[in-house]
Amino acid sequence: MTGGGADAWLDRPVREIARAVRTGEVLCTTLVEASFARIDALDEEINAVVSLERERALARSAVIDDAVKRGEDPGALAGVPALVKDNLCTDWGTTTCASMMLEGYRSPFSATSVHKLEDAGAVVLGKANMDEFAMGGSGEHSALGVTRNPLDTSRSPGGSSSGSAASVASGMVPLALGSDTGGSVRQPASFCGVVGVKPTYGRVSRYGLVAFASSLDQVGVLARDADSAALGLSAIEGHDPLDMTSAQRGHSGCHEARDVRGLKVGVPRALLDGVDAGVAAGFENASSALVARGVELVDVEMPSVEGAVSAYYVLAPAEASSNLARFDGVRYGRRAAMEAGASVGEMIARSRGEGFGEEVQRRIVIGTFVLSAGYHDAYYTTAQRVRRLVKNDFQRVFESGCAAVLTPTAPSAAFELGSFENDPLALYLQDAFTIPANLAGLPSVSVPCPGGASIGSGLPVGAMLTGHAFDERTVMSLAGAIGT
Amino acid sequence: MPEAQRRAATIERVVPKIGMEVHVELATRTKMFSRVPSPAAAGSAGLEEASPNSLIDPVTLGLPGALPVPNERAVELSIRVGLALGCEIARRTQWDRKSYFYPDLPKGYQTSQLDHPVCGPGLVTVPATQETDPFDIRITRAHLEEDAGKLSHELPGGVKTDFSIADYNRAGTPLLEIVTEPDFTSAEQCVAFAKWLRDVCRAMGATEGVMQRGHMRFEPNINATLELAGGESIVTPIVEVKNLNSFRAVAGAIDYELRAQGERWVEAGQEMGPGAKSTRGWDDDKCRTFLQRTKEDAHDYRYFPCPDLMPVEIDPALVATIRDALPELPAQRAARYRETLGLGWKEASALTEEPATSGFADACIRAAGEDVKAQTAAANLVLQSGFKRANESGESVETLGVTPEQIGGIALMRAQGTLSAQAADAVFESLRVSDESPEDVSSRLGLVTVSDDGALSTWVDETLADPKNAASVEDVRAGKVAAVGRLMGGVMQRSGGQADAKRVREMILERLSG
Repeated sequence: MTGGGADAWLDRPVREIARAVRTGEVLCTTLVEASFARIDALDEEINAVVSLERERALARSAVIDDAVKRGEDPGALAGVPALVKDNLCTDWGTTTCASMMLEGYRSPFSATSVHKLEDAGAVVLGKANMDEFAMGGSGEHSALGVTRNPLDTSRSPGGSSSGSAASVASGMVPLALGSDTGGSVRQPASFCGVVGVKPTYGRVSRYGLVAFASSLDQVGVLARDADSAALGLSAIEGHDPLDMTSAQRGHSGCHEARDVRGLKVGVPRALLDGVDAGVAAGFENASSALVARGVELVDVEMPSVEGAVSAYYVLAPAEASSNLARFDGVRYGRRAAMEAGASVGEMIARSRGEGFGEEVQRRIVIGTFVLSAGYHDAYYTTAQRVRRLVKNDFQRVFESGCAAVLTPTAPSAAFELGSFENDPLALYLQDAFTIPANLAGLPSVSVPCPGGASIGSGLPVGAMLTGHAFDERTVMSLAGAIGT
Repeated sequence: MPEAQRRAATIERVVPKIGMEVHVELATRTKMFSRVPSPAAAGSAGLEEASPNSLIDPVTLGLPGALPVPNERAVELSIRVGLALGCEIARRTQWDRKSYFYPDLPKGYQTSQLDHPVCGPGLVTVPATQETDPFDIRITRAHLEEDAGKLSHELPGGVKTDFSIADYNRAGTPLLEIVTEPDFTSAEQCVAFAKWLRDVCRAMGATEGVMQRGHMRFEPNINATLELAGGESIVTPIVEVKNLNSFRAVAGAIDYELRAQGERWVEAGQEMGPGAKSTRGWDDDKCRTFLQRTKEDAHDYRYFPCPDLMPVEIDPALVATIRDALPELPAQRAARYRETLGLGWKEASALTEEPATSGFADACIRAAGEDVKAQTAAANLVLQSGFKRANESGESVETLGVTPEQIGGIALMRAQGTLSAQAADAVFESLRVSDESPEDVSSRLGLVTVSDDGALSTWVDETLADPKNAASVEDVRAGKVAAVGRLMGGVMQRSGGQADAKRVREMILERLSG
C-alpha cells in the first residue's frame, strides 16, 4: 500500500496500526515514510520536532518488516512511528533538552522507556521540541524555537511536552513520549486535543530521563485516544534496576480496558470556580459522558489542594537547582570562552549564564534560595508538609470509595502565544489542576472533553482523571469512557 | 586582652582538645552508586595503575539522565565498622545532597548523609599501646558518602600547566566518614586511635588500609586552652587540618598546631569565638600547616534529601547476624596473646596486624588444643618457622602450604616433648609439600624424640662403656659436670639425634653419681 492509503493509516488508533503491520497489511517502512512526509510538510510551521534520524528509522523499519515476513511478532506497537521528547536520552542523534547548554550533546546510552518503546515494535523517528529542561507550560521556552498549536498556530500547544503533543495532534505520529513533572504531558494534551497520561510515580523508569525534579518527574505517553495511550504506557512501564525509585509491581494491565459501570468518581467542586466558561462547558460534557456509562459522580472536599501550586514551586525548583548543578561546562555541554587567567568559578558561572534560558535560570535561583541556610525550614520543609497534606486529601477521597478524582486539566483552553511573557507567576497558576497528582505521585490522564469545537472558543479542553496509585487501568478505562 | 599584656604573658600550660574526622575508602568491588569497578576495591591495583578516566561510567561522570543505585556491600561494611566502634546502627538511613561547585565533583553535589547516618553514637576504648595508656573516645557518628575525582596541574614529567587536568577514576568511591567527639588530649592519643582504627577497619574487611593510596585520610579538629601565669586562661579557635594521609602527618600537624595556636594568640589575639573556625592544610616537606579558608568564606551546602535514592531500611536481624559474626579485634587478640601465651608486644602484634595472617595464626593456636604450652608453641611456630619462610619467599604464612591443623599438631608434639625445636622446624618444612600428619612425617623422617628409658639405657650404657669416653667419664665422676656434654653428644650420635636430651643428661648423671 502506498500514497494516500498509507497516509490514512497514520490517523488510525495504535492498536489497529500495529495489527495491520503484524498481519502484513501495511509495511512499517511505508508508515514511517508517510510519517516523515507529514513532518516535512507540517513542521516548518509547527516546530514540534527538533531532530530526526531518518536512516536509523528506516533501517529499523526494514528490520520490523523482515520480522513480519519471517512470521515473527514485532510486538504490541509493531511499526508504530513515534517521537520522544528531547529530554529522553538516546544513544543515537542528539539529546539537547531544547537548551543551548546541551547543544549537540550526544548521550552514550538510551533511556529505559525509549528502549522499551522500541522493544515493543515502535519506531522512534527523532526528538520532540519542549520547553527547555521541561520548565514552562507554553512551548515558548525552547532554545530551538517556539512550538505552535496545530489547531490554531497563533496559540500555545501547552508545555513542557509541547512538541510531543503538537506532533500527535497534527498527525505527524500516532504516539509520542513526554515527561510530566507538574502537568507537562496532560496540559499540552488538553491544549492540543489529545490524550496524555502521567503514570504513578515509579511505574516507568526514569533512567535516561534528564532530571528536572526527581521526586515528581515521570515519563508519560501522548496519543489521539485513550486506548492508544494505554498501549504505549503498557509497553514502557515496569521495574528497572537502574532506577531505585522505580516500583517492583506487577503489570498495570492498562492495555485492556475494564468495565467502568458502577464506579464512583469524586468531583472537588470547590476547585472548579474561576475556570473559563468553555472549560466549564467541556467539563459538564465529560461528566455527562461518564454518567451515561454508569459512573456515579459524587462531590468531594480536597481543602489542601489549594496549597499545591505554592508547594510545587518550592519543591520543584529546589530539586531542579540541584539536578542542574552538573551542567558546569567542565565535562560536557556548553563552556564559555574565557580570557586567560579567569578562574574555574568564573568559567562555571559564565557557562551557565550563557547556556541556560531565562525560565531555567529563574527556577535555579528560586531553588537555590529556598534551600539556603536560614530559609530552608520556612520554604522547603513547609512545602514538604503541604505535599503530605495533598496526599492525605487524595487518600481520604479514595477511602470514601472513589475510584478516581475528576477535574478539568487546565483552567483555560490553549492561550495565545506571548500571553504570559511578562507574568511567569500567572503561567505557574495554569498548573493548579495537574500539580496535585505529581505531588501525590498518582496516575493521572487528560482526555479531550466531548463536544470539541462546539465549546466556547472552539478549542479543545481536557478532562483529567487521577486515580489510586498503580491503578492506571481504571483511569485509562474512565478516560476511554469519556472519549468514546 | 590588650596587645602589650598579651605579648608579656607567659603561657604555663597548653591543654589540647582534639576531635577527629576519618575518611575510610571502603574496599567494595564497585563504586558507591554505580557498577563501575572501584579503585579502592580489595586486590585492585588502585588509582596509580589505572589509566586516567578509565574507571568511569555515566553515573560517575554525572551525565544527564544517569541515576544512582546504592551499593549494598558498602552499607554492610559500614555496619561492620559501626558495630566494632560500639555505634548504634540506624533502622533507616537516608541520603542527602551536599551542594557545591568544583570541577572534581561531577554532579555539583556530593551524595552524603546528614540527619540519618548509618551509624549513630558509639564509644570505644582504645587499648593500651607502648606509648599510651588505654583511653575512651566517644564516636559521634559514621556516615556513607562518595569521594570526588582528582585535579592536577602538571603534565607527566612535572611540567606545570595553566589548565586543570581532571581524572574521575576516584569519583564515586564509597567513603565512610567517622567523626569523634573532641575527646583526645594529645597527638599521641590521636595517632594511637588512628592506628587502632586502621587495624579495626582492616579486620572488618572494610579497607586494605594502604595509607599511601589514600585508603584512609585523617582530619583532626584542634584547639587548646592556654593557661597563663596568674591563673587566667584563653581558649584558642578550632583549626581543622584537612587530608592527612600518614600517622606521621597526624602527629606533626597536631604538634605544630598546639605550638602555633599559642603563638597566634600572642601575635594576633586569635581566640575562640563565633566565626573563628578555620581550615588548614599540611605541608609535609616544611612540617607546618597553612591557611586554606576561614569561616567567612564557608560554604552553604544546601543539604536536602536526595530524591533519586530511597531511604535504606536496615533489618535489625541482619545487624544481629553481622554482630554475631564479627571477628575479634586485632588489639583485643594481641592483648589476649600477651596475657595468656606470654608473648611480647612485638610478637603479639606481628601475629595480629594483617587480617589474613591473624586469622591463620589464631586457627593454628586453636588447633593446638586447650593446653597453653601447646598454644604458645603454635604461636612460636608461626612466628619462627612460618615468618622465616614467608620472608624468604616473599609469601605470607597462610600461603606457605602448611595448614593450621598441621601446625597445631606440631605444637602438640613440641608440648609433649616428642619433637625438638630443630625437628619441629624440619617437620614444618616437609609439610609445605605434604598432606600427611605431623606424626607421620616425624616418624618417617625419624625425628621423634625417644624418651623411653629402655631404648635410652642401651645408648647411654654403650656410650659410657666406650673406651674413647673413659676420660670424660672420669671427669664427670670427679665433679666436672661440664664434661656431661661430651657424653651426651655420644648418646645423641648413637640415637641418630632422636634421644630426649634432657632425659639423657639425667640418666648419665644418675649412673656416674653412684
